[in-house]
Amino acid sequence: MLQKMIKIQVVGPKKDLHRVVDILYREGTVHLEDVSDSIAAGETMLRRMEMEKTVDLLNLQGRIGGMLLMLSDKWRVPVKEQELYNTYMNLSQDALMGEAKKILDELEAPLKTLATEKSDIEFTIANLIRYEKIIEKIRPLESQLPVLEGFEITVILIAREFREVLEIIRSALVKITRNQFELISADVDEETIATVMVFHKRYSDDVHAFIHTQNVNEVRLPAEYLGKPFDEILRLIDEKKRGLEEKRIKIEQDLNEIAIRWGNQLEGMQRALKDRYAELSVFNKFGQTDYAFVILGWIPKKFLHKTAKALKGEFGERVLVNEIPLTPEMLEKAPTFYDNPRIVKPFEYVLKLIGPAKYLEVDPSPLITLFFPIFFGLMVGDIAYGLIILVFAVLMKRRFHQHEAFQQLMNILIISSFPAILFGFLYGEFFGDFGEHMGWLHPIEFMGITWNRMEAIVPLLILSIAIGVFHVLLGLFLGIVNAWALMSCEHHTAACRRHICEKAGMMAVLVGIILVIGAVAGMIPGVLMQPGILLVIVALPLIIYGGGFFGAFEIISMIGNILSYARIMAIGLASVILAVVANKLGGMTDVALIGLLIAAMLHGLNLILAMFSPFLHSLRLHLVEFHSKFFEGGGKLYKPFGKEG
Amino acid sequence: MVDFGIPIGAGIAFGLGALSTGIAQSKIGAAGAGAVAEKPESFGLMIILVAIPETLVILGFVVASMIMIMLGG
Repeated sequence: MLQKMIKIQVVGPKKDLHRVVDILYREGTVHLEDVSDSIAAGETMLRRMEMEKTVDLLNLQGRIGGMLLMLSDKWRVPVKEQELYNTYMNLSQDALMGEAKKILDELEAPLKTLATEKSDIEFTIANLIRYEKIIEKIRPLESQLPVLEGFEITVILIAREFREVLEIIRSALVKITRNQFELISADVDEETIATVMVFHKRYSDDVHAFIHTQNVNEVRLPAEYLGKPFDEILRLIDEKKRGLEEKRIKIEQDLNEIAIRWGNQLEGMQRALKDRYAELSVFNKFGQTDYAFVILGWIPKKFLHKTAKALKGEFGERVLVNEIPLTPEMLEKAPTFYDNPRIVKPFEYVLKLIGPAKYLEVDPSPLITLFFPIFFGLMVGDIAYGLIILVFAVLMKRRFHQHEAFQQLMNILIISSFPAILFGFLYGEFFGDFGEHMGWLHPIEFMGITWNRMEAIVPLLILSIAIGVFHVLLGLFLGIVNAWALMSCEHHTAACRRHICEKAGMMAVLVGIILVIGAVAGMIPGVLMQPGILLVIVALPLIIYGGGFFGAFEIISMIGNILSYARIMAIGLASVILAVVANKLGGMTDVALIGLLIAAMLHGLNLILAMFSPFLHSLRLHLVEFHSKFFEGGGKLYKPFGKEG
Repeated sequence: MVDFGIPIGAGIAFGLGALSTGIAQSKIGAAGAGAVAEKPESFGLMIILVAIPETLVILGFVVASMIMIMLGG
């Protein structure tokens, strides 16, 4: 159901504006409107409020956020943090910014130094580990290297898939060093080969220049390790690593001390700055006179008392909350606030596909909540499939609990699986005809018909079309309700009157056609044929008045819409036929295990189709056939001013 | 002698419906893929639009079933 909205005006002295905005922000109930839209041309008293400078606020927030990133959050105490946040939020803007600057002056420079040092140490340690790993791998080659004065040892890393580059390097070294070099390779890991090159220092520049052109990864050992045996290098690396690790631990301790002492303050300040920025960024929606401010907005009726009480408690009679008498034109522009029970929420989410309803329109989400699962159940109609869909949806919901869209889709499947199980009892289906074959259950006889889907094709078709007639008639009726609600707006009156005539005419034609068909088929007394014809004749001028000459063609489109509901029977029948085929094929083999496998595979395929196709077609029946009869959309959602989420 | 007229008629009713649905869906699908590439949030709506022409094949299926049931004896 859409919530009743009230338009309010909050008026008070300018000196209280920041506090008022702060309270409204904390309450999070008012959907703000731009006052400038209500300022009449030539109005001199009331003018738009200019937005306050917020750049500094944003800058401070960013810097404090940056500092928080350098600190661990495990030392924070939420209660203390909240206390500090409240203290900061009670400060004026200048005082808040002053406080933030004070924290930054004291903390920013030392924290940055520590963080930079830590990151340098971590980088160096990572490099040392890399050298260590490479040297460990090539250490066995050391005995093969010639020990010669004036020779340089260079290590390069090559990806295994490009190992042919080794040959290119070899032939280049032959040319550059006149064949005075050594080239030895070893695998570092599954993807990398380390190659040690030994050549005379006088060719050093040429060799390095060539390696650079080959885009291979040259390992440049720090100068202090050059010319030393590998064992010695490893020892030095280990020593250096230990020294650096000690330093890193010391820095970590310093950072933890800062986090313990400042963490709550920084977090509280960051939140306060963020919220203050959000508050200030809406100031240009407000109006002002020389001494007073004016705030306009919409509030759901059920929140009005609480918000007004909060303002009154703080300011007494200084700040007034006035209810503005609503005109139909205002109501047309009111924000839409869906406030449905939990079961409707997933369907609300799906309806986002077509945008929110206007405030004066009927909320379609409770209706889709009622009909969607029924359509889905009628199409799937199998106890086993229903149970599997239920279990699948519950498991998926738990597995992907962070994706909202997925959660909502799974909720729809959970809700819809129950009618699927229920109709499974009616049709007597458990994995198609398997349940019946085993003697576990049988199709139920209801209204003189045995609802076996394979045989009761015509009754099911009639049932589907009957559902279609009811659904379309309901849609047309809701169209009349919507048009009636909008008719009070002067500029919509004529159009709404035509809409009402057209929808009423369509309903009459539909009822007339049903009477005629029923009488001809002998399903209802023949005497009802004349009233049916009369209804069609009376309705035609109404439709032509409402929708013009082409409005009459809409009758054909409406009949098409109703026939479209035949898909409820058709998709259901296709599903049960596939299930029966799966059972038959499974039962044809002599080896039970193979038969079981074949049946399981086909049922699996059918299940995937059963989840996808009935879902899509139920949705389509609503969005295309049903909603087109009454839903206009184009409303704006209620977005209260406050913390998001 | 076997009367092939009924199954052939049912086959035509279903086959032509399926064919036309395929043609319509191919065009909507191609346009939809472009639209989704530009605006990924339109994916849900595109799925619905692609499903719209399926009415043809479903009605074809219904007609084929009717032919088989009512004329097939």
